[in-house]
Amino acid sequence: MSTALSTISRFIDRRQALVYPAPAVIVLFLIVVLPIGFNLYLAFTKWTVGLGQPRFIGVDNFIDLVSDERVWNGVKVMVYFSGLSLFLELVLGLLIALYFNREFRGSEIVQTIYIFPFAATPVAVALIWRIMLNPEIGVLNYLLRSIGLPGSLWVSSEQTVVLSLVLVDVWKWTPMITLIVLAGLKSLPPDPYEAARIDGASALQIFWHITLPLIRPVLIAALMLRSLDNLKEFDMIYTITQGGPGTSSETLYLYSYLVGFGFFKAGYGSALMVVVFLIVLVFNVVMNRLRLSR
Amino acid sequence: MKRKIACVALMALLCAVTVAGSASAQLNWKQFQGTEIRFLMNKHPFTTFIEPKIPDFEKLTGIKVVFEVFPEDQYRNKRTIELNAGGKLDGYMIMPGQDDLYYWKAGWLQPLDAFIADPKLTDAAWDPKDFFQSFTKASTVDGKQIGVVINAETSLLSYRKDLFDQFKLKVPTTMKELEETAKFFYGKEVDGKKMVGITLRGKGAAATSQWVDFLYSFGGSWTTPQGKSNLAGAGTVASFKFYGDLLKNYGPEGGTMLHWAESTSVFMEGKAAMIYDANVFKSLYENPKESKVAGRIGYAVIPAGPAGSVPHVSNWSLSINKNSAPERQKAAWLFIQWATNKPNALGALLAGVPAGRASAWDSPEYKSKDTQPDWTANTKKSFELGQPQWNPPVINVPEIRDITGQVIVDAIQGKDVEASAKKAAELMDKKMEL
Repeated sequence: MSTALSTISRFIDRRQALVYPAPAVIVLFLIVVLPIGFNLYLAFTKWTVGLGQPRFIGVDNFIDLVSDERVWNGVKVMVYFSGLSLFLELVLGLLIALYFNREFRGSEIVQTIYIFPFAATPVAVALIWRIMLNPEIGVLNYLLRSIGLPGSLWVSSEQTVVLSLVLVDVWKWTPMITLIVLAGLKSLPPDPYEAARIDGASALQIFWHITLPLIRPVLIAALMLRSLDNLKEFDMIYTITQGGPGTSSETLYLYSYLVGFGFFKAGYGSALMVVVFLIVLVFNVVMNRLRLSR
Repeated sequence: MKRKIACVALMALLCAVTVAGSASAQLNWKQFQGTEIRFLMNKHPFTTFIEPKIPDFEKLTGIKVVFEVFPEDQYRNKRTIELNAGGKLDGYMIMPGQDDLYYWKAGWLQPLDAFIADPKLTDAAWDPKDFFQSFTKASTVDGKQIGVVINAETSLLSYRKDLFDQFKLKVPTTMKELEETAKFFYGKEVDGKKMVGITLRGKGAAATSQWVDFLYSFGGSWTTPQGKSNLAGAGTVASFKFYGDLLKNYGPEGGTMLHWAESTSVFMEGKAAMIYDANVFKSLYENPKESKVAGRIGYAVIPAGPAGSVPHVSNWSLSINKNSAPERQKAAWLFIQWATNKPNALGALLAGVPAGRASAWDSPEYKSKDTQPDWTANTKKSFELGQPQWNPPVINVPEIRDITGQVIVDAIQGKDVEASAKKAAELMDKKMEL
């Protein structure tokens, strides 16, 4: 008995590098690698959940999706929504971080209140926005009209739906960018600033020639973190518009959900997911290059 | 004291009736004692009604019933995924018009005919002839009955009776009158509120279940007799145009985002003179806690179009999973039988769930408690006129509804309806699975 135990213990001692991470690796394999692998397999099959078994059809799904108008619409909405919201979040996040990066009375309280939106539960927040954005009974139109402005259709019009969603996304996620950038700003070395001030550089020059280049890797890191979620934004858009009116706010990610879980076409839905995956991957590889390059 | 005696007497009477009922039949309710069955249920008024009564069934049969209830959107997903995964699931709620072809082809629906015909499994008092035939037909695939109706629906035109009286208007009986009446009210100030003429669902796929009544009334159809898409057919296009124009010109702002919840709340806020939606929403409209217009509503069947007045009928049914063990299937059948017996159908109807049994509607209890005989009369009329094919006759119903919904959205936005319908028809022909 004791020899068996000591054999095991000797085995563990000799192979610590294998044994200790093993449980985590196994779990990760089961919940990450396996589903992604299965998804990849399904992407090359035709399968409606329940109707027979997945049937291998090669790249037919990918040929189909090139001629599927909804795919191109989804990419367009995705680029429009993500491009605009990421840009605004980055710019506003940076400006607000610069503003917070000073000593002023009550700065802790202001900063704490400021991060509320991103600390709140996404679906709960989205439900509230959905009511606020309602053109008939929403508070936004009530406020606009009470100061004499015309109301907007917000998410009920094809023209304004993506802009309204960007508004919600910017409101919710700018604080996250601010927090990351603020941490970066606080860790900047003081010497270049002192030198610049002695040389008589203006505040704008200091920002443009010192702060921005120094903070660039942090900004890109923040953008990468945010883009991972933003490019596959689901809960907020699904809760507020479900992709409507029509398909005017249907991102590729929402469309793939509809195909997979609305129409139960698991094969085609998986192919769409692979495309989303590739878009996110390519975007992040490019960003990473930018971050590391000088 | 007197009241107490009356109560006891009533209970004794009820017991006697129950005992007499079960004693006279050959059915042995205890035959599956100890079995546990699991049902997936939609969060629906019928579920709310029957759930507290389950202990009665468990006492009667010794079968343990596990109920799992989910809101509709999640419910549909969960049900399909669970059935596909082959877990221990014995029965579930289904809208046959929505899912029967798909579920039948997938092999998840147990035909009930053998159970119904077997006197050892079915109480004579259950009386299948008592169900409205249109709903039994709607729960039948390839000549096999796959479900028992628990909620019988149709749609009605609901209107503000008080305003119609005030302005001396008559209830529209043709589509032309419907449009004129909507126009009359649109923009009118009533009680300091700017009214809209009518509110309808406009949110793509969700709107098709109400638009379909206009489809049939305008002489359109889902498919041609050859089995091709008829979305671009003349009657169909006319119905898209009429429905879209009605909502665009005389409906609330943002029509393309109106699901039933939004549409009914506009009506209940007192901002719309009329609404066309499911008859079951009467329980919302007439609830003074939720609705500002309770007690001031009249009901009518859909106004006649060129092809007459053709509403749809739809229903929720209880079905049995074909892959469940035979013993548990039979236990599940006892449960379904009990849940749809005459007293429960009547109880559900009294609780506001439209029953699929004629006896419930004709019972003196219901008639004496009916506060909206107008609604009852028009609901029954609509049941008789009703067309059970409220969804496209295909396996991939959600996908084809989605395609159809896009034309409705385009129509509401004032786009070229012919072009949109033509595009949708081509897409439907490509995607349709029969």
